Amino acid sequence: MTPSRTRRRPAALAALTAVVLALAACSSTAGAKGSPDVAPSGQIVPRQISWLLSRPADGGVITAMEKIADEYAKDHPGFSLNLITTPDRPSYVQKYETLAAANKLPELFDTDATPFAQKLASQGRMVDVGALLDDLGLTSTYRQAALNYQRFPDGSLSMVPFEYSSEYFWYNTALFAQAGVSVPKTLDDMPAMCTALRAKGITPIALDGQDQWPLERYWSYHPFRQAGPDYVHKVATGEAHFSDPAGKAAATWLHDLGQAGCFQDGFSSTGYADAQALFTSGKAAVYNIGTWELANLATDALDSNVRGSVDFFTLPTTDGAVTAPDEFVTTSGIGMAVNAQTYDPLMRDFLAFALTRYPEVYAASGALSPTTTVATTIPGNATPLYQKAVDQAENVGAKIAVPWDTQLDPTTNTRLQQELTLLVQGDITPDAFLTTMDAALAENLGD
Amino acid sequence: MTDTTTARAGAARPRPPRRRTKQLSTSMLPRRSRLSVLVFLVPPLLLYGFAVLLPIGQSLVLSLYKWDGISTMRFVGLDNYVKMLTRDDVFWTAFSNAIGYLVICLVLQLGGALLVAGLLTALPRARELVKTLYLLPAVISTVAIALLFQRIYSLEPLGLLNQLLGWVGLEHLQTAWLSNVSTVLAAVSIPEGWRFTGLYMLIVYAALIAVPHELEEAARLDGASWWQTFWRIRFRYIRPVWITTTVMATTYALRGFDIPYLLTNGGPGQASELLTTYMYKTAFVHTDYGYASAISVFIVVECLVAVGLIFLLLRRGDDK
Repeated sequence: MTPSRTRRRPAALAALTAVVLALAACSSTAGAKGSPDVAPSGQIVPRQISWLLSRPADGGVITAMEKIADEYAKDHPGFSLNLITTPDRPSYVQKYETLAAANKLPELFDTDATPFAQKLASQGRMVDVGALLDDLGLTSTYRQAALNYQRFPDGSLSMVPFEYSSEYFWYNTALFAQAGVSVPKTLDDMPAMCTALRAKGITPIALDGQDQWPLERYWSYHPFRQAGPDYVHKVATGEAHFSDPAGKAAATWLHDLGQAGCFQDGFSSTGYADAQALFTSGKAAVYNIGTWELANLATDALDSNVRGSVDFFTLPTTDGAVTAPDEFVTTSGIGMAVNAQTYDPLMRDFLAFALTRYPEVYAASGALSPTTTVATTIPGNATPLYQKAVDQAENVGAKIAVPWDTQLDPTTNTRLQQELTLLVQGDITPDAFLTTMDAALAENLGD
Repeated sequence: MTDTTTARAGAARPRPPRRRTKQLSTSMLPRRSRLSVLVFLVPPLLLYGFAVLLPIGQSLVLSLYKWDGISTMRFVGLDNYVKMLTRDDVFWTAFSNAIGYLVICLVLQLGGALLVAGLLTALPRARELVKTLYLLPAVISTVAIALLFQRIYSLEPLGLLNQLLGWVGLEHLQTAWLSNVSTVLAAVSIPEGWRFTGLYMLIVYAALIAVPHELEEAARLDGASWWQTFWRIRFRYIRPVWITTTVMATTYALRGFDIPYLLTNGGPGQASELLTTYMYKTAFVHTDYGYASAISVFIVVECLVAVGLIFLLLRRGDDK
């Protein structure tokens, strides 16, 4: 054997193995088209099923589902529900997408209505939840807003909602009075509100900039008011541009918010808990968050110095708005998908039991159910604001502001989140922002 | 480790014929011993091939495809490389950031290590204590270090660094170090540099104490200054160790990921985005495995080029 051949052989072997692995990966990805029958016939054989989810370990959904699974197991010995939670969303998404690539998703898994999830659904790897709910006779029990939030842009439904929440601007009435400002009527009133609060040494708005989605919410507000909920879908599919009038107005507004010092200094490195602490400790005047935080904002868990001064207002409107004041961000959280490859009579039977039982158990914990069949139980330690927030959530308009991070392709979305921080910090101009985003969208649309 | 004196002496002598060297080495190794060597060498070589070469080869193949992990792979030829080099401004930002990160890390790690190790050799007592204290950051978990520095850099609430600036009357320099695009790259590089200074200090210190005192004393008697003694005797003597340390520090810094990712996730904007964090996001957030593989191939090439340059520069200096 010559030295050159000796050197070449391991390299050739490595290359060959790499090709084989790559082709193996390729062949394993082609999924079957079409969702399975939602009412499969056959015997129910109890076993352990797993749910890969991204929710707080001690939160209402997990607590309720553990209780329901225990009840089901009493009549079905051998059944158990294995809950595998990763509350940190980016970590969860990585885990879920890796398992999807390896074709190793468990029976149940959480996902937003993202383009990635839509690909899974189009490959027939997710059960048609719309058909399942129809078959179980449960569709009419759900809030339309809760179901619509889970739908893909083509209207199909592959995820079950387990939550329901509206997002408000919580504000400190005492700090507003101190600065002599009132609740902004329009989005364009907000920069002036911030300037007045800053003049009194008050941080106007607490923002979790580290997680990026909260700032992206601010980006979505102006287009939702000015162009309606369809604008984001059109941008995502290339039918509209960031530089369209709605996007231009949003970029200018966010730039103005930054110039008025609306957010705390160094907001981009402030995490979720720190941002909330700024508001609950009375240092920041406004905090934009959903009703999933009611336990921290409208109960005696809130600092007694702030408790009596907290109120909320809904998304301000704009001049010439095409959406009504009672239409704003209303979400049903991350949804639960059902793996089509492991769907069998047991899965159907358990889901029929769980989805029927869930609203009552969940609403008893003080949370808003995604169905209209039960009333939320107001906790004993709640402030009057709790009931007010629940009542407001019960009365939202038909159009909902969809978060952009679930609609855009992930590459454009990452770029948007990054550029938004720079825009608000004043590191780039609105024009530069729009040019960059349109270029990113054009580059990634083909992908 | 190469002894420069021996190398020079070897270069001056006529080289023995190659065949003779080969015959000598094989005759010194009986057949059974050669088999034993093979038995012991093959498993680690196979492991190395499986754990290192195979993934590199796999990345190379994958970089020629467009693949999101769940759809059918699409062959795109060199398009991922064309995109990387011509159409992706984030890639070039990440590359220049990686170079900045590398420079800061090397200055802190190698400069700091040499300085502390030099001072340590002059320390009459408590050397072990000082060594342990300097080594401590290397054994602390990365997440703990990231959390620690997040607090140190914070502006709201006021972190340690900004408090210190306030105490010494430099309030005008207070800033959100991790949110300011002008300071964030240095802010994420410093914890990485600080963390491994102690480790490299130990290596350099071990080399420094091996320098024969007679050489230094002789130089001093000949009238050499402190700098001349250091540069011509001490540093020259530890040069092989220095090359190894530089290679280690450079490749680690080029592969740096955890602290920047945990502290800023590459932000604000792309101000602290490194090639590694960008590659990770491309693979696991954007689910663009083909393009991420192209970036990973670039990182491998970048590391090889960096190591080659180090050897070239330091060996050339050695020859002079």
